[in-house]
Amino acid sequence: MNMNLLPASLLTWAATCALVATAVAQDVVAVKGGKVLPVGAPAIDDGVVLIENGRIVKLGKASEVEIPWAAKVVDATGKTVMPTWVVAHSQAGQRGFNENMQNVPWLSVADAVDPSAIWFEDCLRNGVGTVHVLAGNQTLLGGLGMVVRPFGRTVEDMAVASNTGMKMSLFAAGGGRLQQIRKLRRALGDLRDYLADFDRRKAEFDKEKAAGAVGADKTWTEEIDRTKKAGVDLVQKKLKGWLYVPSFAEMDEAMRLTQDLDLQLVLGPNMDEAIAMLKRLAKPVVIDETIEYYETDEETQKETKHCPAKLLADAGIPFATSLAVGGPGSYPWWQIGTLMRNGVSRDKAIESLTTVPAKMLGLDAQVGSLAEGKLGNVQILTGDPLAATSWVETVILEGTIVYERKDDPRLQYLFQVEQDKAKKAAGPEQPAGNAPVPPKEGPKADAPKTEQPAGTGNPGEGK
Amino acid sequence: MKLPTFLGLAAAAALCALAPAQDKPVVYRNARLWLGGKPPIENGVLVTAGGKILAVGGADTKAPDGATVVDCAGKTITPGLVDASFRAANNNDFNEQGDEITPHVRVLDTLDPDDRSFERARASGVTTVHVMPGTRNVIGGLGCVVKTWGADPKSMVLKEDASLRITMGSEPSQRNMAIRGGQVDSIYYRRPTTRMGVVWEARRAFYDAKEALQKSQGDPGAPPSAGIEVLTRVLKGQLTAVTTARSEQDLRTALRLAAEFGYKTILDDAQDAHVVLDELVATKSTVMLGAPSATVISGSAGGDGADPRSATVALLAQRGVPFVITTGSNLAALDLVREAMFAVRNGLSPTQALDAITVEPAKLLGIDQRTGSLAAGKDADFVVWSSDPLDPSAIAESVHVDGINVLALR
Repeated sequence: MNMNLLPASLLTWAATCALVATAVAQDVVAVKGGKVLPVGAPAIDDGVVLIENGRIVKLGKASEVEIPWAAKVVDATGKTVMPTWVVAHSQAGQRGFNENMQNVPWLSVADAVDPSAIWFEDCLRNGVGTVHVLAGNQTLLGGLGMVVRPFGRTVEDMAVASNTGMKMSLFAAGGGRLQQIRKLRRALGDLRDYLADFDRRKAEFDKEKAAGAVGADKTWTEEIDRTKKAGVDLVQKKLKGWLYVPSFAEMDEAMRLTQDLDLQLVLGPNMDEAIAMLKRLAKPVVIDETIEYYETDEETQKETKHCPAKLLADAGIPFATSLAVGGPGSYPWWQIGTLMRNGVSRDKAIESLTTVPAKMLGLDAQVGSLAEGKLGNVQILTGDPLAATSWVETVILEGTIVYERKDDPRLQYLFQVEQDKAKKAAGPEQPAGNAPVPPKEGPKADAPKTEQPAGTGNPGEGK
Repeated sequence: MKLPTFLGLAAAAALCALAPAQDKPVVYRNARLWLGGKPPIENGVLVTAGGKILAVGGADTKAPDGATVVDCAGKTITPGLVDASFRAANNNDFNEQGDEITPHVRVLDTLDPDDRSFERARASGVTTVHVMPGTRNVIGGLGCVVKTWGADPKSMVLKEDASLRITMGSEPSQRNMAIRGGQVDSIYYRRPTTRMGVVWEARRAFYDAKEALQKSQGDPGAPPSAGIEVLTRVLKGQLTAVTTARSEQDLRTALRLAAEFGYKTILDDAQDAHVVLDELVATKSTVMLGAPSATVISGSAGGDGADPRSATVALLAQRGVPFVITTGSNLAALDLVREAMFAVRNGLSPTQALDAITVEPAKLLGIDQRTGSLAAGKDADFVVWSSDPLDPSAIAESVHVDGINVLALR
């Protein structure tokens, strides 16, 4: 067998079969020669990350790790190797993330995640390897979320964890703030009433059966209504709630809700005054993509900049950072840089997109840092992850190369203009079947003129 | 008399009385100095006194006796940043809608020294800005160059009539409605309603100016109207025209119009500059590039059908097209220094990027004798950055206008 063919064929196979194949993949990948930043552990110069069956089996200095002969070696010399980013809360990547009806606890984002969404492509381009997708913020009980890897042709390919919790929101969509609070209370109250009624009926049945009023062969067959199952799990604390709290004004209600439910708070930007409350709560929180914001004093018209993340960091409350859809806020390095400009330490800022969200998702044994036994989710960057000049060169998810910058057509579009211009000068592309054909009937004299491709006879064009 | 708003507020600017006198020399030591237009000095020394730069040099630069010494180890000092197209965000009356052609209205008359956008600009290291009227008119009026802070409003002004803003594209015709009978009940029933109309309005104005110029050569006679007088200054090369044009089509139109009437124009925003590189080189045009950060993977960040590309900055540099980096004409723009940072990400050298927000715009605006670089005799406008200003985590620790740290005034 020609050995040269092996890696190439593996790669093609990996590209077409996507990640679903990695579960059975026997390939060994070694990322070699780069500066490894494992997160939560000291950096390793000239390190090796050895991935087998999709998991990291060895991590160490090049001199100490033996690379098996059959391994596919990815050379990262002069580059930085680190875990892919983890996003704790995102509504992107779905076709429609806000259901018109607000109270829809029976829905799941699995039915809305669009594997071909550019957001997922962007995730890879930015080195994001794990995304928790939830319903939008304009909801009440918005349905179940799921954790995906941003690669794969189907939702099943992408799934990392499903039924990760119920999206809830205090964002006043349409109505007022108090109305939203009232609606949420009523929705939860209805679920509790339903459950109490269900339990009562079941207890009555058991009682009647014990008393012999019901035949001994009869059993209780009724199940929890399928539109209420997830909601019932939520009120029974069997399911986590991901509660979006748009501003400080809703914090009181959010705190009340944390007493009855297993909640993960997702905070809007306007949270400066909430720090004392959050300290009492003593739980990690998610902050949305607006890291800093300006507020104007109505009296003095003086404007001040606020960054609740800095206050969270000072208060010792772990937080996870979100990413925006498009624009600078979608770049992890920019979000981390913004945190650092506001005084958050580099380590805390990096943790907010790696280990903190991983733990929040219960995936801390899988993702968020490079360590033996964890998933082989690795990004290779051209330089320091926080430098504006660094680019994600390669992304490996569970041992499979899923992104390479040299093969990124959209980046090439933005950066290779000359090529484009040459194309333009040559006139519009004319695939064989689509060439303009003069009509077979009618006056031939003027028809070809109007069909002439634009750009060919245009003065000043394509010089 | 010429500065009603600014003088009117002079009395209210009690702030200046609180400003510490900076007559005493101050020495900033151990910093990395980006001079603007020259290679940086490691471990440099900057000496200021009386609002001016006394000396700039290496570690052995002599400091006057009794000078206050500020240790800037690990920090970088750059000239105060110059934004050649700045949007004074909190002031909306930048479009005089009484006419489509208002060359004579002055943006200076509407500027508020307490405008919060100046404060934001200062916080991000910007000490000088070029403000132009809005883009709603075909010919919007006169732009001015001001510092973002001054001991009194009048001293903020560096140049009263710095430019004439012309706008090509759809903006001047947007929302305008054609009169088709019935009741005319809105100011938007007016010309122009198309791109053709926009260009015609500009063309007609320049025809009038040309005519006035020809007339005045024979017989001084009656002076032309205020607007025509401004346009004749553009035709005579005494006033810089700045044409805001984004798409390829509008850029070509802007250049065509300038060639037709024989004036030179700077191209503002110019998102499609990468398509007309040859024309830019041939006409020796300067580009005020709006927001290099605003290139996106999906959809378009372009205005007016433009297709901005990341490669543009590097291509302009490669082809030797003079350009500066600005924020004002793109709503998505970040702080000026971050735009320079994105330009570097997109392939520009750090020196070129920093020059494009300091010395180059100063030269373009004709204020380089005063500010935009660090050299003896210039105004003490400079920024002390916590680290390399092109690092995403860098912040402006102190921002000095005429020697005074304006961040400490808040």
